[in-house]
Amino acid sequence: MSLDPVQVMSGQVQELKVGPSSNGDSRGSWEEKEEIDQDNVGITTKPKPVTVRRTRKVEGGVFFPKPENAVTVAVSSRVLFRTEREQKVFEQDGVEEYLRFQIEHENEPFTPGPAFPFVKALEAVNCRLRELYPQSDELFDIVLVTYNHAHVGIRLINTINHHNLFIERFCMTGGSSPIGYLKAWQTNLYLSADADKVREALSEGIAAATMFTSEKVTEVSESQLRVAFDGDAVLFSDESERIFKAHGLDKFFEHERDNEDTLLDHGPLKGFLEALGKLQKKFYAKGQRLDCPIRTYLVTARSAASSGIRALKTLRAWGLEIDEALFLAGAPKGPMLEKIRPHIYFDDQMFHVEGAAEMGTVAAHVPYGIAQKHNAKQNISVRK
Amino acid sequence: MVSTIQNTDVKQKEADRAVVVAVTSRAVFDCGADDGDEVCEVGVAFPLLQALQRVNERLLEENPTESLLFDVVLITSDSQQQQQSSRIISNTRHHGLEISRFCFSSEEDFTESLLKNNVHLFLTTDRDEAAQASQKGVFSALLNGKVASSEQLRVVFCGDAVIRTDAEPPSASQDAAQSFWAQLGEMRRRFGVLDSPLSLVLLTSRGGRESCGAALQTLRSRGVNMDEAYSLAGAPRIPILSLLRPHFLLINHLED
Repeated sequence: MSLDPVQVMSGQVQELKVGPSSNGDSRGSWEEKEEIDQDNVGITTKPKPVTVRRTRKVEGGVFFPKPENAVTVAVSSRVLFRTEREQKVFEQDGVEEYLRFQIEHENEPFTPGPAFPFVKALEAVNCRLRELYPQSDELFDIVLVTYNHAHVGIRLINTINHHNLFIERFCMTGGSSPIGYLKAWQTNLYLSADADKVREALSEGIAAATMFTSEKVTEVSESQLRVAFDGDAVLFSDESERIFKAHGLDKFFEHERDNEDTLLDHGPLKGFLEALGKLQKKFYAKGQRLDCPIRTYLVTARSAASSGIRALKTLRAWGLEIDEALFLAGAPKGPMLEKIRPHIYFDDQMFHVEGAAEMGTVAAHVPYGIAQKHNAKQNISVRK
Repeated sequence: MVSTIQNTDVKQKEADRAVVVAVTSRAVFDCGADDGDEVCEVGVAFPLLQALQRVNERLLEENPTESLLFDVVLITSDSQQQQQSSRIISNTRHHGLEISRFCFSSEEDFTESLLKNNVHLFLTTDRDEAAQASQKGVFSALLNGKVASSEQLRVVFCGDAVIRTDAEPPSASQDAAQSFWAQLGEMRRRFGVLDSPLSLVLLTSRGGRESCGAALQTLRSRGVNMDEAYSLAGAPRIPILSLLRPHFLLINHLED
């Protein structure tokens, strides 16, 4: 499939609902038309007042949150579902055969992929949020963003129906880059199987990570969303990691000690942790701190007594709470993650991602920072 | 009074097979009142005409005897433009536009020229004109006000209106809309998935995935296979539309 950079166009598109009794008024702006569309289904014969935009109830009283209020998580079809068989058809027989295959199997739902438990957990949190704040649209909004052609659309919709997922928004770009759409949806996190797309998203300032399909997956909670983050080059910038890579461990410790009171710069996933924190506070406000359905973890190779202090001070200065901070002082992360059972773990180093996956944790790779150059030899090539 | 001039530089299309697209000359050329210069500025519809032409070229590449082609007709209805008629024709030649016929009429009669020419789609930048044409049963759409910068002809269907209840008898305008979609669908089928000179995009604004899914099914049953699909479920349309870069939007006025 070709990668076609999309140029974002600003400017107005004028459209007309033509009908036997259109109101024939002067060319209105696109904005005005939006307002009228929102409140009207059908032909207007007289101009309607422009109303303030608010969250709408549609189709059985379910909220469609406004993108600016929601925490938008965009997932590709290959991480939400397992599509290896179809991928093989694509690689071996080309796109026409691939699409024919998809249409032929339209009524066979895909099985869950690596992001599936995470998405289910997001929906569980939404249920709890709706109970406490029925009018609010500060919720998780899951959007399916895929390179797939619309021919696969019906099978994807059937699959979403089959698994009872609450996904109402999607972009099937038919081969063009989804990055523009991610920005338009004000995406807070993008998960894809394609490292190139993830890198592109990161370079546009969108939190993103690459996910992989693993055969071993341990069971995770269905009622509490657990998200674990590595520290350097994920929540924080890679500045300290650069020192470590260039000058070794001793220099790293020295540097961290000397700069203990200087905040670390932010990393690509800081914004997503922040978004999670905002939702957590909504539970705390209703006295549900102990029973909060969102729990966050820092799992770092830093050590508590020394280099970890700078990390904690930085988080505190940012006003971000993390529920559990685990300083491993260089010990392997796999066993610790196996105990935590996060729905997703973000790390910038493939070595840790693979280690976690070996023990059944769903780990996502954040291809950011200095570790990418050093891990080049070790990187598994991502299947396209 | 309606008059039609055939463009002898261009091979005329088969009347019963061609997809006749009429565009107002005002949208194609912006001829200033009294320039000494013969060459006019190009208007917002210019890239559209180029895209339509490219589709025709590719259709003929696939099949030199292809008769399902776009047949472009230029409508001039305001008197100012009429005075410029020779400039319009010469500019058409100058820019190498494949316009088969030039229709001149008064403002009151322009719908007559549309009907006489069996127009399947009328494109204009003027909302009133579009409404008038639609009332006479001619499928109309407004041109994208911003010049679209893609080689590929991109048509966006606003899918909230695709589904109709069969209980209601279709109006002339709806019939015209449906038959235009069917023609586009057939044209699209002449090409493979990749490297197509035209792309059909479905956009549903209000409903959720069921709406979009139903629209995809309905369109497919009419022989129209979409390339891209977007379900907005109430999210703002403008940012998405500016990314989609349609040459024009097709909206059937019938909503349920």
